[in-house]
Amino acid sequence: MTGDASPRADGGSTATGNSDAASTTRPDGGSVTASQNRRWSRSGRALSTLLGRPIVAGVVAVVTAFLTIPVLVAFVSSFAESGSGVLPTGFVTFDHWRKVLGFGDYGVRQNAIPGLTYSLLIATGGMVLNVLIGVPIAYALARYDFYARDWINTFAILPLVPGLILGIAFIQTYPEHGRSSLGLLAGYCLLKSPYMVLTVQSSFQSMDLVRLEESARSLGASWPRTVLTVIVPQARRGIVAGAIITWTLAAAEFNFTHKVASGSPDPFAMFLYRNIATNASYLQSAAAVSVYFLIVVAAIVVLQLLGKRGFSTAHQ
Amino acid sequence: MSVRKSATASVRRVASLASTTARPTTERERERRRIAVLCLPFFALAIVAGFVPLAMLVRISFAEDTIWMEGWSLEAWEALATTPAYRRVAWNTLWFVGLATGVSVALGVAVAHALEKYDLPAERVVVAAVSFPIALPGIVVAYLITVLLGNQGVVTNAIATVTGASAFDLASATAITGLFLGYVYSLLPRATMVLRGTYAEVNAQAEEAARTLGASRWETFYHVTLPEIRPGIAAAAILTFRSGLAIFGTVLILQSHKVITLQIHNEISVGSYAPDVAAAIGLVYVVFIVAFTFVGLRFVDDDAVEV
Repeated sequence: MTGDASPRADGGSTATGNSDAASTTRPDGGSVTASQNRRWSRSGRALSTLLGRPIVAGVVAVVTAFLTIPVLVAFVSSFAESGSGVLPTGFVTFDHWRKVLGFGDYGVRQNAIPGLTYSLLIATGGMVLNVLIGVPIAYALARYDFYARDWINTFAILPLVPGLILGIAFIQTYPEHGRSSLGLLAGYCLLKSPYMVLTVQSSFQSMDLVRLEESARSLGASWPRTVLTVIVPQARRGIVAGAIITWTLAAAEFNFTHKVASGSPDPFAMFLYRNIATNASYLQSAAAVSVYFLIVVAAIVVLQLLGKRGFSTAHQ
Repeated sequence: MSVRKSATASVRRVASLASTTARPTTERERERRRIAVLCLPFFALAIVAGFVPLAMLVRISFAEDTIWMEGWSLEAWEALATTPAYRRVAWNTLWFVGLATGVSVALGVAVAHALEKYDLPAERVVVAAVSFPIALPGIVVAYLITVLLGNQGVVTNAIATVTGASAFDLASATAITGLFLGYVYSLLPRATMVLRGTYAEVNAQAEEAARTLGASRWETFYHVTLPEIRPGIAAAAILTFRSGLAIFGTVLILQSHKVITLQIHNEISVGSYAPDVAAAIGLVYVVFIVAFTFVGLRFVDDDAVEV
């Protein structure tokens, strides 16, 4: 029936192979294909049909392991007494957490709570600013068609200046305010705004904006009132999701913070850096990193309650 | 029409556009005002926090006195053009990020394919594993690589126990392979995110038809699925490459390969303080990213773009 049978035409086919063979070895269907195009091999026995799924599934398993194992090991070993050997040993101790967060008398290391609070406050400020600038432009891009719309769209949804460069430019441009909280806040807001714009935009795109707006207008509402009381509340899920994403990403933004932060109080990203790069033990770094893991997990749980697939800007 | 005349006409047209936008009389003008009002906050921030600092960067790169930013000189640009070390950094960055992008996108296609087409036993785990790292900053990724491959790493110690070699010799977190895995760790989730969006729109009926007509799985993928996801692959490659160029924290900690972000950092470090050179490199870098993005996205459907 086929001119070029697959090299692996052995009898031993897997369960998937069998079911496929059943669907494709109908006497007429198969022969028609073969006569029309001799390049098609017999699908039920082709090498890729037998091995394709196992190989791809194997790749997915390896990728998943590669992405999850270090996170789990870091989290688990932050409670261990010793990190040498293949697996951490000596559970359960909270020493590293206490040390990292600065509780108890552990030498000169200061309490990390003020820095954490400060960082989270700045991230919150950046988030609020992001709602104020991101929602309007997302609405303009989703609702109207105007000159250079595509350019503005690309510009708004892609972070064009990397955080490192922005940080260097920032402190030179605003020598007095660049290192202040306001500088950090503005930088976080600009760097993370694409996530907000994208999330809110995909929320708007799933609504019939023209009809909503025209209904409200024909019932006598002014345009500002229409936008603020009819359209924006409809997109609240997207706005909240965008707010959580921008907040979480801003809380640990490093590249920009590293250049701009002045030191006291220490932003969270610098707290992580201090605990990873400089004279901190392996397990202590694990505890510091785990603090951030907890924040991210909390954010993801909230996002999933809102119906998002984790850190995705797409609308479901 | 003379140049002066046409310039005057343009100025007048812009002025009248501005005045009707500020004081609209027709519905069309009112709509224009709404668009302007909606876009204004974003652009206000972009100018203050983005464009003005970038303009300042241009000034710094031409400054003669880099402490007070005074005088004009082309020294930094000359150094950039004539020093072979900078060309090497550019080449290092491009091949390294390019390779990491290629690997991440290829693996991303596999993961997105499996998530969309297969009944995986632990699909939620895979989705969580793939979306979690998007939130991790580069320094945390660097630490996670040392958890796997460092002196005290899991993989290192497992191999050391099996083979009897010393863990210290086996540790590869601070080798270039460790850094490469760090890049893949950061980039793979981004690539997968974009590709999952593309896969959700693939026409499954065409694939089923191909399978029924006798195509093998690989033939179906190559001739039917791949043409459909090609725009998504291109978009994923562009976004991944951009993100890869911006990675800094991972390199700062692992320090095993001199890429452009590390070079910029070194230029403004104590000991080799040359902010004008740093600014010049930064400008080349930003211009490259912007040009690359806009040229790349011309060939891609805009809807496939996600960060």
